[in-house]
Amino acid sequence: MKYPLVSRLLRRNTSTARIAGFILSNFIGLTIVAGALQFYNDARSLWHEEDSFVRSDYLVVNKKVTSVHTLDLSANDFTPEDIADIEAQPWVRSVGEFKKAAFRVNTHVGFADIERHGRGNPSRSSGTLSTAMFFEAVPDSFLDIPLHEWHWTPESPEVPVVISKDYLALYNFGFAAAAGLPQLSGTTVSGIPLALELTSEDGSKRLTLNGRVAAYSKRFNTILVPETFIDYMNEELTDGQHSADTVAQNPSRLIIDVSSPGDTAIGPWLEQHNLEVAGDKSASSAAYLLKIIVTIVVSIGSVISLLSLFILMLSISLLMEKNRSKLHSLLMLGYNPDDVATPYWNIITISCCGATLMSAAAIAIMRAFYLTPLKALGAEGGTFWTTILTLAIMAALIIGLNFLSVYRRVISTWR
Amino acid sequence: MSTSAYLPHIEEITLSEMLPRVFVGESIPNSAVWLTNLTFRRGKNYLVEAPSGGGKSSLMSYLYGNRRDFKGKLLFNGVDTAALRLPDWQEIRRRHIAYLPQDLSLFPELTAIDNIKLKNSLTDHLDMQRIMEWMRRLGIDTRADYPARKMSIGQQQRLAIIRALAMPFDFLILDEPVSHLDSANNLIAAEIIAEEVARQGAAVISTSVGNPILLHSAINIKL
Repeated sequence: MKYPLVSRLLRRNTSTARIAGFILSNFIGLTIVAGALQFYNDARSLWHEEDSFVRSDYLVVNKKVTSVHTLDLSANDFTPEDIADIEAQPWVRSVGEFKKAAFRVNTHVGFADIERHGRGNPSRSSGTLSTAMFFEAVPDSFLDIPLHEWHWTPESPEVPVVISKDYLALYNFGFAAAAGLPQLSGTTVSGIPLALELTSEDGSKRLTLNGRVAAYSKRFNTILVPETFIDYMNEELTDGQHSADTVAQNPSRLIIDVSSPGDTAIGPWLEQHNLEVAGDKSASSAAYLLKIIVTIVVSIGSVISLLSLFILMLSISLLMEKNRSKLHSLLMLGYNPDDVATPYWNIITISCCGATLMSAAAIAIMRAFYLTPLKALGAEGGTFWTTILTLAIMAALIIGLNFLSVYRRVISTWR
Repeated sequence: MSTSAYLPHIEEITLSEMLPRVFVGESIPNSAVWLTNLTFRRGKNYLVEAPSGGGKSSLMSYLYGNRRDFKGKLLFNGVDTAALRLPDWQEIRRRHIAYLPQDLSLFPELTAIDNIKLKNSLTDHLDMQRIMEWMRRLGIDTRADYPARKMSIGQQQRLAIIRALAMPFDFLILDEPVSHLDSANNLIAAEIIAEEVARQGAAVISTSVGNPILLHSAINIKL
């Protein structure tokens, strides 16, 4: 301490009760705000767990299928004008197109017989289960699968595939139950090797590749493969004709990156333009409810924090008012305003940091209690940085504002 | 404006057409200070005499940058002080102008010695030996560890004189410094002040309403 006598002089009349009152109220306010945000961050994955590789603020939309459209297939496609119209909406950050495969796909369970016949030759897989399929792709930036898993080059041994969670459910609870086949979990299916047999539309070209289910999606009601794969195969299996045929490239579904998912304008707009949103809406409404609750709790905590800020400001002001003549005399002796303000700054810093540390400890303890049951429910849990960052910002604000008010009060006694 | 303009010393303080705002409109008969040009020079000894209410304490406050409710100009080394900012004044109060206010402005809850240390710790101008010697000469060494509030007004005045000397200065402003001292203590105080002022080559500007500090060869100024 630079001038111990100054702090000894000014610390007199410090009311321990008032400072304790501040620490308590600050502690409560900080704990509520940071605790609520921490809980939100920890629990959030519960609602997005199924789709953890897709951000919640994406919408997958398609045009409503009506009986009139059944005959005209292209009527369900989005024209470039449609897409431009959507992109122009204020709540849209970016729009991605679903790319369709210009070839047929047949899938068997088992390994493709590439070793014996080489890629590009028609072959028989060793499996017995077989089904016709289709592939689509969206730009990679709309998926949050680790890049090494969601990556395909002509040299890749396997094609990663994302299928709809609903397909698995259909199999398990519909088909398997009726046919007396075993039910399969997601991880089991991911372990099953798939042989993909690709055939060009005219049947002149055939390719066989290995595939693997990389993830399941509730939001994408389709079968997704990497965009590079679709591009490459469309080229390969149509001899380049596909890219020339622009009409065939019009997408029938779009993925929209929404800048503000809670925007009430989105629903009516989509309704008005006859668009449908795919995916599970109950999950997003539960997430929305969680957001509202957290917002309310955070608001209450913020109000308490704000009140605690005023308690501190008020008690420091009161203390300084009592010491007004002393402050004036010290400035008269030649002390600089920050020398005189330092003892008050120390009180503020110590009490605020104390409250902040207590709050961090309380949240850590709280978290230890709720994280186990939350994880049992399937949540991943966020990092503790949420708390640390929130507390740091709030403490910095409280300390900064009080520092400023003390300094101004010291200056005001100068003349 | 920076204080470096005054380094290493404030050689002269000039009052140019100065008048406290409260006196504006009143007649000021025969004042050697107000509405004139008056220069205080370093190394001299001034005694400002005036009846009560003549504006002595106001003048002292103006010189110390404590108040600015005057018309006209106050110049340090010929430079207008109107442009001085708070940090400049604080530097002046630490190194150039020492001030003993009439109300002493001691901290009653601090001990006598701590009151002196509080001022001295800004510049470490005096060593403990000198402080204790002056306290002994002024007869308050036995009260060193007493809270200032428990000392008599005369003792407090002697304490405040030592505190005023606990810094390097070019001008020493003493506002009725010996109003509560007997002539014996007045002489001792004057002796100590004269020694220190001579050591620093400084000037004294003191005020009095009839009981002036007994410094030699003072230039009398009638307010």
